[in-house]
Amino acid sequence: MRLALRNLLHDPTRFVVTSLGVAFAVFLMIFQGSLLIGFFRAAAKVIDTTDSDLWIAPRGVVCFDLAATLDSRFREIALGISGVESVNPISVNFVGYQIPDGQHRTVVLIGADPKVGLRFPLPYLPDSGGALEPEAILVDETNVPELEIDAVPSAVEINGRRAHIAGIVHGFSSFLGSPYVFASYEDAARYSRLGRQRAAYLTVRVARGYDVAAVKDKLALELPEVDVWTHAQFERRSQWYWVGKTGAGAAILTAAVLAFLIGLVLVSQTIYATTMEHLEEFATLKALGASKRFTAKIVLTQALVFCAAGGVVGVGSAIPVVKLAQNAVAWIYTPLWLVPVVLLPSLLMCMLASITSIRTALSVEPAKVFRV
Amino acid sequence: MGTGETSVRALSDVSLSFPAGAVTLIMGPSGCGKTTLLSVLGCLLKPQVGSVMVNGIDVAAAGEEERARIRRDQIGFIFQSFRLFKALTAVENAMLAMEISGEKGPQVRAQAERILGNLELSEKRHLKPDELSGGEKQRVAIARALMREPKIILADEPTASLDSQAGERITRILRDIAEEQQRTVVMVSHDEWLCRFAEKVVGLHDGKVVESPI
Repeated sequence: MRLALRNLLHDPTRFVVTSLGVAFAVFLMIFQGSLLIGFFRAAAKVIDTTDSDLWIAPRGVVCFDLAATLDSRFREIALGISGVESVNPISVNFVGYQIPDGQHRTVVLIGADPKVGLRFPLPYLPDSGGALEPEAILVDETNVPELEIDAVPSAVEINGRRAHIAGIVHGFSSFLGSPYVFASYEDAARYSRLGRQRAAYLTVRVARGYDVAAVKDKLALELPEVDVWTHAQFERRSQWYWVGKTGAGAAILTAAVLAFLIGLVLVSQTIYATTMEHLEEFATLKALGASKRFTAKIVLTQALVFCAAGGVVGVGSAIPVVKLAQNAVAWIYTPLWLVPVVLLPSLLMCMLASITSIRTALSVEPAKVFRV
Repeated sequence: MGTGETSVRALSDVSLSFPAGAVTLIMGPSGCGKTTLLSVLGCLLKPQVGSVMVNGIDVAAAGEEERARIRRDQIGFIFQSFRLFKALTAVENAMLAMEISGEKGPQVRAQAERILGNLELSEKRHLKPDELSGGEKQRVAIARALMREPKIILADEPTASLDSQAGERITRILRDIAEEQQRTVVMVSHDEWLCRFAEKVVGLHDGKVVESPI
């Protein structure tokens, strides 16, 4: 395949331009894909950090952030059902937040107890064996400027009650516009003035040996006034609400789908145009008696090299740009699997574009070579 | 050629034979069918009627793959615009004639270098077409045409892109190939001075043979 490779290197400008075309397409797909995946991830981040099998939610609640309240009796009923190991409340409320200089913010106050899960962000006292610090809250690092936090600990007021920032957490940036603030369930109930009996959700852990789906069915039967979801169902429900039912989510989804399609079209157009530039050479090869297989190998090799070069540059530039973008859009996220998900269809489009151009290359009239 | 109202009869009542060991020159004004005749002889175009015998095979009846094989194995092409691959060196361009059928390696390279040497291009074998003069490019094209030792060499206006000195040199080379290696060389040209290098001259006008051997 000397001819294929030499053709690529013979015109470095063309090689760079074509590779950059593919690279831009890959970049676009990864960046927009990262926005969409990050949005999905942020929409279910808090749910994901709980060690729960099932969620009991007020009927019709569409997502985690837009919560309502449950009556405390549901917890008692749930605990009485066989297979239920523990039931832990979580509160979610929009509350007023005041920094010492008197400025007000609205934050989403999330309260829970340690039993909800070790990954759940809570203000644990150091070396206390899991005890929570009273009147302490945690905020995400991305909200530090907005909440004007100069030092930790620092005093604030929530709904007129005293609290202090005990720590900063990472990866809990909210896309709602109102920062997440985490506190113990006890403190959150007090700050929100709803009391301990009014949880937003009840997370259920199923005892070992019991079927989660069967316990879910039992809970749904015993608690007809509420919704019962598996952990995964509630995650998906929250994610699809934000992506499908809100303008911002729909815009991100549309942009990602368009970027994917535009990227694929761009890749195929770039490869097709490059092959067409060498149509005269393919006519010469055909006139000299080259087989279809020989010509096809040249075209496919060139397409693969362009795809590989463009893919490396595209991925190599998208990942640092996504990191940089996290300063402005904290929840943007590139999972490793996104790279093959973008590269494989790109490769496929390169091959398809090649096959299309091969058909043109192979159907070229060999007598064309006698024309100047 | 063509279909419907745009169809034209490019060649008509053409019955010719081309002897081995001689140069046959096909001459005629533009549009008279010279290139069409060369394309038919080179198995690049299929005549709608009649037959074209190449070393005993009727190529008019052969399929596309078979005609490609005949082109590859039995015919060497030389084009007015050289049709060299810009990305390849002179020796690689010559080797390409073998590589298209999967033959490669040091033997192929040695053969290409030997033929280029015979055409006085040894020192330029590592240069690319853009670094060669018109005459040198045409000699590389001749080397490529000779690589598979074809019985037939078809040359389309081989001197048209060259100055008179280079053109004469190329023509002498083609005549020597015909005489010394007993190959059939068919040239298409406008240049009347080429007649003195040809054993046979065929005149074409409106797709018909109008002259016979001089």
